[in-house]
Amino acid sequence: MKIERNFLKPKMAEMKKEGFDYLVKITAVDYVTYVEAVYVIRNIDKDTEMLLEVDLDPSDLWLPTMLPIYKASDWYERELQEMFGIEIKGRRARRLLLEKWDGKEYPLRKSFKWNAPYATSE
Amino acid sequence: MSVTRINVGPVHPSTHGVFRMVVDVDGDTVLGVEPHIGFLHRGVEKLVENRMYLQCPPYMEKLDYIAPMAMGDSYISVVEKALGVEVKPKAQYVRLILLELQRIASHLLWLGTLCNDIGQMFTGFMWGFRDRDIILRLLEDATGQRMFYVNMRLGGLVRDLPADFEEHALKTLDYLEGRLADYTDLLEKNPIFMERMKGIGILKAEDAKDLGVTGPVLRASGVSYDVRKNNPYYAYAALNFRPAIQGSGDNFARYKVRMLEMAESIRLVREAFKRMPDGDATGMQIRLITPKAQNRISTVSRECPRGEQFLYLVADPQKAYRFSIRSPTFINLAALSHISKGQRFADIIAILGTLDLVMGDVDK
Amino acid sequence: MSINSIYGLFVSGLSSSNPLTFLVSVVAYAIIIMVIMSVFAYLFGWVERKLIAKAQYRHGPTYVGKFGILQNLADLIKLIAKEKMVPSNANRILFALAPQILVAMATLLILLLPFSPTLQATNLGVGLLAIFVILGFTPILLFIAAFSSGNKFADISGQRSVLLLISYELPMMLVIASVALIANGYNLQHIIAGQSKFAYAFIMPIGLFIFFVTMLAELERTPFDLREADSELIAGWLTDMSAPYYALSLLLDYTRMFLGGLLIAILFFGGWSGPLLPPAAWLVIKAFLIALFIIIIRVTLVRMRIDRVLRFGWAWLIPLALINLVLTYVLFG
Repeated sequence: MKIERNFLKPKMAEMKKEGFDYLVKITAVDYVTYVEAVYVIRNIDKDTEMLLEVDLDPSDLWLPTMLPIYKASDWYERELQEMFGIEIKGRRARRLLLEKWDGKEYPLRKSFKWNAPYATSE
Repeated sequence: MSVTRINVGPVHPSTHGVFRMVVDVDGDTVLGVEPHIGFLHRGVEKLVENRMYLQCPPYMEKLDYIAPMAMGDSYISVVEKALGVEVKPKAQYVRLILLELQRIASHLLWLGTLCNDIGQMFTGFMWGFRDRDIILRLLEDATGQRMFYVNMRLGGLVRDLPADFEEHALKTLDYLEGRLADYTDLLEKNPIFMERMKGIGILKAEDAKDLGVTGPVLRASGVSYDVRKNNPYYAYAALNFRPAIQGSGDNFARYKVRMLEMAESIRLVREAFKRMPDGDATGMQIRLITPKAQNRISTVSRECPRGEQFLYLVADPQKAYRFSIRSPTFINLAALSHISKGQRFADIIAILGTLDLVMGDVDK
Repeated sequence: MSINSIYGLFVSGLSSSNPLTFLVSVVAYAIIIMVIMSVFAYLFGWVERKLIAKAQYRHGPTYVGKFGILQNLADLIKLIAKEKMVPSNANRILFALAPQILVAMATLLILLLPFSPTLQATNLGVGLLAIFVILGFTPILLFIAAFSSGNKFADISGQRSVLLLISYELPMMLVIASVALIANGYNLQHIIAGQSKFAYAFIMPIGLFIFFVTMLAELERTPFDLREADSELIAGWLTDMSAPYYALSLLLDYTRMFLGGLLIAILFFGGWSGPLLPPAAWLVIKAFLIALFIIIIRVTLVRMRIDRVLRFGWAWLIPLALINLVLTYVLFG
């Protein structure tokens, strides 16, 4: 299900009230012209799963934090920040997830030259 | 109040690989734990994007190197789903049997390391390793490899089970059943063990859901969610599978869930052998996947020994456009700082032990 | 000169009033004890490895010497040959001295124990008390050793050492008091003589139990091995110890184990008394068996948590020890 970024947070809160109380995964896909963030939530009691997709403009990459709604989003959001360079707004700035990664290039973006030697900061 | 900041790891006897955490303690009470991960990051998600579909199972298997077959299986499953390949009826049973054996092997290793973590002088560890090895020998019979099997193919397996496999497996299972009783004797009749386990590191059901923990950790908190039951794949729907649920959410519940799961896996394998249909279990003999995928986006959930692995695949011809892994241990580890707040320093290690981490899986 | 006459000279030297003779005899005796102790530590290290291996379906050392009996020697050579390193933020003097003082102290304690009616460095009237005074110092020295290494894990280990001391020392003293009550004094020879009919193990089994448990805590063996808790504290106070010091600490470990076995044997199992074999042999055999039992506990049990140890000590051991003391007083006092 596609959703606008501005409606994401209220929608998630609403879904949680409806019983989708389990966040499975937050991930993203870089389609070059746009970046799609995917939220997978699940209703454990009814065994239903739902994918919420948010399209983001690569020049304006940010998402609202889901931390007040799902605590599980903590590490996933940090992963997004680190791997896709999607800024997560509304949460306390924390260090990136993996060690020794300067976070200037975003490895899971398609623009990342994966086979080229990576210039480390050291 | 004096706060001491202790750095545990990345090289430490009980961090199960290269994992570092910074623990703030006041005396012996833990004020906060900050896990630092990434020492084993290999960028598998990126690698999969740049390899042919069938080149990837070995990468996947090196994620959770304690239960590689489960990893390889979930990867093949998501590719099968993308391509619309049906798994052969017999292969469904064979995969189930091998996966459940793998689960027992994985849980045995977990049990061993848990004993070690709470301070037993390697006895449980050696026992666990020894019994795990017997299962590894079985799996070697079936696949030709001891650890990294790469034996799943689209629609089936590389080869069918050998003729005498059932006999060997059933004999092994009988032996293991006796051993499980031994383990229970060794540990649960020991008041000190119970003291270290009961009431320690409690994770309530609503917190467990909120934190998104999965697998045995989730079920130990009393949330009844097991992919094998709730969203069955392979032959799990046909077999009479009962997930192991405990309510208290403490260390002991997490321990007990895994012990019950081992017993349940033994039962499942036996039942699967009885109901296994005749036929062929070998998969497609293809090297290169050229047909266009039916589904651009496919998702798959598999109950790995450590919890639910959720895979998200955006398919292109020949190779994945984007492949995203939700590792069970990754999210279980994220819950560590929540669980261990206010616990004793010694108990963090026990909690780590019951969370059952594999750093390869956490870091991807 | 026959061996017997040397032995006689030696024993008479120990009880001589001439300070010079006494000193020479004591030094000779100390050297002999050191040798016995090292042999014990060596053999016991091997037995421990073999026994633990057996419990864990392993073989243990096999390659070096027959049944791997020389494995420990090989390990010892390796440890001694390694570089001596002192961490930069450690107190150099204390760091190097602490293990040596600890070993010396444990040896001193063994000197005070009677190996036969006559074989004892000096037969103090308050021998038992003297031993426990020195024994009580050990955790404090351990704390100093831990503190001197400047490592946080060692720090925690040192704190635990002292906490342990608080929890086990009192019940242990209470048991010693009840032993002294039966034996009418603290003289070790009297205590052994008092067990000529019945070993105290049969007279006060509760006392034996408490003493054994507190001895496990004193020796910091499983389930009270909190000082070295390898899964939590890496190696506790030994974390930063380089190989030669570590070898010393291993020697210390086995010496203290030997000491624990000896003490239990003397206080509860009649010490050197026994038929046929010479008295010293009896004592060593008894100590050996008790130490074996400690090993079996080591492979089976898991580690207790420090706060639980404290609660166990105060809520269970002390009341039990008091009951034991009162019972002893009522029955034998």
